[in-house]
Amino acid sequence: MAVMFDKPEYFVNRECSWIEFNRRVLSEARDKSLPLLERLKFLSITASNLDEFFMIRVASLKDMVNAKYTGRDIAGMTAQEQLKVIGEKAHELVNQQYTTYNRSLLPALRQDGFELVTEHEALTDKQREFADQYFEENIYPVLTPMALDSSRPFPLIRNKTLNIGALISKKDEKKKTEFATVQVPSVLPRIIRLPDGKEGQKCGILLEEVIERNISKLFLNYDVVCAHPYRIMRNADLTIDEDEAADLLKEIQKQLKKRQWGEVIRLEIEEGMEPKLLKILKKELNVKEEDLYQINGPLDLTFLMKLYGIEGMDKYRYAPYKPQPVPGMNDEEDIFTQIRKGDILLHHPYMTFDPVVQFVKQAAVDPDVLAIKQTLYRVSGNSPIVAALAQAAENGKQVSVLVELKARFDEEHNIIWAKMLEKAGCHVIYGLHGLKTHSKITLVVRSEEDGIRRYVHLGTGNYNDSTAKLYTDCGILTCSEPIGEDATAVFNMLSGYSEPKSWNRLALAPIWLRGRFMRLIERETQHARDGKPARIIAKMNSLCDKEIIDALYQASAAGVKIDLIVRGICCLKVGIPGVSENITVRSIVGNFLEHARIFYFMNGGDEEFYMASADWMPRNLDKRVEILFPVEDDKIREEVRHILDIQLEDNVKAHVMQPDGSYEKIDKRGKTLLNCHDYFCEEARRRAWRSPDPVQTRVFIPMEAED
Amino acid sequence: MAVKMFASITIGSSETEMKVFELSPRKGMKEIDWINTRLNLGVDVYKMGRIGNRNIEELCQVLKEFKRIMAGYRVESYRVCATSAFRETKNAVVLVDYIEKQTGLEIEVLSNAEQRFIDYKSIASVTAEFETIIQNATAIVDIGGTSMQISLFDKDKLITTQNIRVGNVSTKEELAPYEKNRSHFEKMVTEILNHEFAGFNKLYQKDRKIKNLIIIGGNLRELMKRYETTDHKITSVSKEQFMGIYQKIVDLDPDQIAADFDISLEMTPVIVPSAIYCRCMIDSFGVETVWLPDYSLSEGAAYDYAEKNQYIQCNHSFEEDMIASARSISKRYKCSQPHIRVLENLALQVFDRMKKVHGMTQRDRLLLQISVILHNCGKFISLENVADCAYNIIMATEIIGLSQTEQNMIAYIVKYNTMPFPDYEDFDTAAEINIDDYLRIAKLTAILRLVNSLDRTHQQKCAEAVVTFKDNVLKVVAATREDLTLEARTFEEKGKFFEGVFHVHPVFKQKKQL
Repeated sequence: MAVMFDKPEYFVNRECSWIEFNRRVLSEARDKSLPLLERLKFLSITASNLDEFFMIRVASLKDMVNAKYTGRDIAGMTAQEQLKVIGEKAHELVNQQYTTYNRSLLPALRQDGFELVTEHEALTDKQREFADQYFEENIYPVLTPMALDSSRPFPLIRNKTLNIGALISKKDEKKKTEFATVQVPSVLPRIIRLPDGKEGQKCGILLEEVIERNISKLFLNYDVVCAHPYRIMRNADLTIDEDEAADLLKEIQKQLKKRQWGEVIRLEIEEGMEPKLLKILKKELNVKEEDLYQINGPLDLTFLMKLYGIEGMDKYRYAPYKPQPVPGMNDEEDIFTQIRKGDILLHHPYMTFDPVVQFVKQAAVDPDVLAIKQTLYRVSGNSPIVAALAQAAENGKQVSVLVELKARFDEEHNIIWAKMLEKAGCHVIYGLHGLKTHSKITLVVRSEEDGIRRYVHLGTGNYNDSTAKLYTDCGILTCSEPIGEDATAVFNMLSGYSEPKSWNRLALAPIWLRGRFMRLIERETQHARDGKPARIIAKMNSLCDKEIIDALYQASAAGVKIDLIVRGICCLKVGIPGVSENITVRSIVGNFLEHARIFYFMNGGDEEFYMASADWMPRNLDKRVEILFPVEDDKIREEVRHILDIQLEDNVKAHVMQPDGSYEKIDKRGKTLLNCHDYFCEEARRRAWRSPDPVQTRVFIPMEAED
Repeated sequence: MAVKMFASITIGSSETEMKVFELSPRKGMKEIDWINTRLNLGVDVYKMGRIGNRNIEELCQVLKEFKRIMAGYRVESYRVCATSAFRETKNAVVLVDYIEKQTGLEIEVLSNAEQRFIDYKSIASVTAEFETIIQNATAIVDIGGTSMQISLFDKDKLITTQNIRVGNVSTKEELAPYEKNRSHFEKMVTEILNHEFAGFNKLYQKDRKIKNLIIIGGNLRELMKRYETTDHKITSVSKEQFMGIYQKIVDLDPDQIAADFDISLEMTPVIVPSAIYCRCMIDSFGVETVWLPDYSLSEGAAYDYAEKNQYIQCNHSFEEDMIASARSISKRYKCSQPHIRVLENLALQVFDRMKKVHGMTQRDRLLLQISVILHNCGKFISLENVADCAYNIIMATEIIGLSQTEQNMIAYIVKYNTMPFPDYEDFDTAAEINIDDYLRIAKLTAILRLVNSLDRTHQQKCAEAVVTFKDNVLKVVAATREDLTLEARTFEEKGKFFEGVFHVHPVFKQKKQL
């Protein structure tokens, strides 16, 4: 009897899987073997992750419920059902966050010499004086208290801002209370450093505490009955109707303003808020009980990231890792000469991102370079790449840049420098209708003695020199002719011209990529059926595409050994008898954010390696422009296999998925510990040290006086 | 010679494309970039008789963008060719002028014959086996929307090229209302085509089997993509393989073909009718191999340029094809071949000796040769009105590789071979003949007239005649013992016109051999 592989019980709901992921991140914050500030950082990350999750995912489910959409997800759940489960799990997660914060991190912080004063009543006199003066000088001028009465409607509370709600009563009318609110200004640092404490410990206090302490100064003719912080989250999933928007730019700018008016999907309040105040908030913001989060501690833990950088506490942080030079590359030769000698693998952040920046920088000034074309998704604030592109255009090169405006949350930022590039004379394309351009590709066309030569960088991560220090990504620099031809075709396609008649090496979403992955998996299945050894190793951020999971189940059932390294969401279940017994799933959560997408297929011994900008998610395969590229150079293939092997051997940062969908760390007893991030850092240092140091080989020859 | 960048732009009836090539003697022709955009100019012409302003503006935008890309590649030479949409639109001259002024690009509107010739060059440029293929009888068939062009080769020579007014779009549109089901459609198309091919076979195929069919257009190549790998491109299939694929698709609708074969939806509607055409030809010509080259007009234009500028060496003589094609026309109209051979020999001698005087090019020499080959075709229709009949035959016949102007020139040269040559002021004003063309017509006519007189009797008495040119005297010496009275008299008479044109005195001498 044929086994059915697409039963809902074979799949995990993606939101549940995501919460499971955030729990793994939280487990890093709870890991006592980590330096304290690193733990704070992880806690902060779970908080910002959860914010984003609410704004995008929960919001979208709410939309579905509002639209009375009754469809079921991959795991057979309706939106309503999902919201219920998410609500429960999210509350649980938040409780865990604050238990970690209150019971573990805050005391540890105090013990290590930093006191975060949680109640202003506990301040010393000197600190009190400082705080009040700070309020007068810095805070008071930027506060805008707003009161609600019959003549003034409930004010707009901005998404994700921290606010203090208060009940106030006129000095002569004590019985009648009014609602007032004031936003905790986001322009000021959330943590205010105070004069050192009695035992010489460093001290700080949260901004909202200082405001609360001085709140009566805001409402002079009133008595403040009570004041409590609260924070809301609104629906922010930005869906642009591209068919109607004549001008994409304008439409996005319009949407940005609208976003602040979105429906409130979460209200966080301080535990113990005055019931009357809470009632007003719930009514005015239209919040249901299940969307209310009573918090035992400061709201919005993302401020902990600021604490991470606190000076004088270096020993509670990992020493910052300096990305190492790429083995085999040097500073003497221009980058094109080096690429001509053979493909170059870049493995960030272990290796420096600098060659990618140099690639564009040198192209900008190289007289033989004719054109530079690049896709930009998210770039850093002061991106050297953007500067180089602008310079190239000014130098008369043809520069085409595809700027993806639809990159979540980055729109405003992207518009600014996109306009800057246009001004410099670049040909800027603002994305494609209905598709996000997520691929990461740069093409440099150079006119050389024997004709045109194309240099291409293909990567798994964004062209962002800042995140390249934190995200693990892979990239390849090559001047392979077939890939160069494909790269040209990619940019022609992105410029609105026809797709090429055929592709040499690359596979692109949304048209060809899904089919390619399916064929690659099915080929492996066939090999297994033919009795040949068959294996797939795939590393990505998320796996939630039904068709792909289905194919993986088929492959597993046929005997293909499948090892998945999936950092985040994974809707596939392991260990289902007859379905997924040959599949393992591990998630690596550590100091760096796992971001590379690597795919290995044994192919009956004729092994194939690929890298891509895409995850195995429907949005990547169907709604984005993504690129899958093969790794063809033998040395690099070995290197890539090594990367996968080390990740599979990791027993420190890896969490292994259990048949019940939970994740567990590997039992380390009797094993040599292997932390893949540390391993790669160490390896990169070692290799860089071995490669010839340009400084030592360079000799300056002094000129001497002639006789 | 260094590497040269060449851009070839084709303004087709549904697509406008640019190909950028790198030309070098070492590597030949190498495609660097291909930029293609859909622009349906043909529909405008079909519906309104002219290309609409919106499309013209859009075309200008595209061309400006192409120009920018050309600059990016530092392209030094380019060619912009416009095809049927511009050939058929009203007011083509005005439109072309407007676009040229807007874009700064120079545009050529190709005649059908020129376009076919370039097509054919492009097939030669992308098909390595081309020379071998055309040793056997081969038909190159361009399946278009409203017509189909069949060019027949045998033993390395072009036999004929014919345009059949049946196209994949027009058949589909005409037959769709009557279609009962898929196989009924197949049956109707087959019936129409078999009728057309029967006529073609009678005229040209005779008893030869056309073993090779080279198909261009009709998007049939797209069907091969599914069977190709990155390292293995399919350029040809056997009759059996073709029929295998044919059976798979003939009953499918376009959406299904798009899904099954991973072809863009815009391309699939014409695939089934094109495949049926192809099958009909396989049946009626006895085809064994179907070739599906991946080519475009742009390739041909670049190849043409590369060949002329000696970036590539080509063994195949495309001029020979034009001559062969003219010869087969002259045979069809029962022209005396021995007579023609004598005249060709003499005419080319005269042309070559007098180069310094007339200052004409190799291309003009080719026109002269074709004029000689066709100079007698009018007699097939009427002995009385030879000149006009010949003129009409030539104007109505497609001679591959000739531009519209060149075809017109040949028709005039042949016409004025027997009619009084008009002054420029009296020349046919409807014809687009400028002064330069007029002068060339006059010169070539003078040569044709002169040598024609030398075989007045059609008895090849002057077959061995030798032409010399010295001290402004053109001397023709015929070594024969035959009576040349008639020839000599006509020579003197025709010589007057010759002298009038060239200011060279022609002298005829007979050397009576012992």
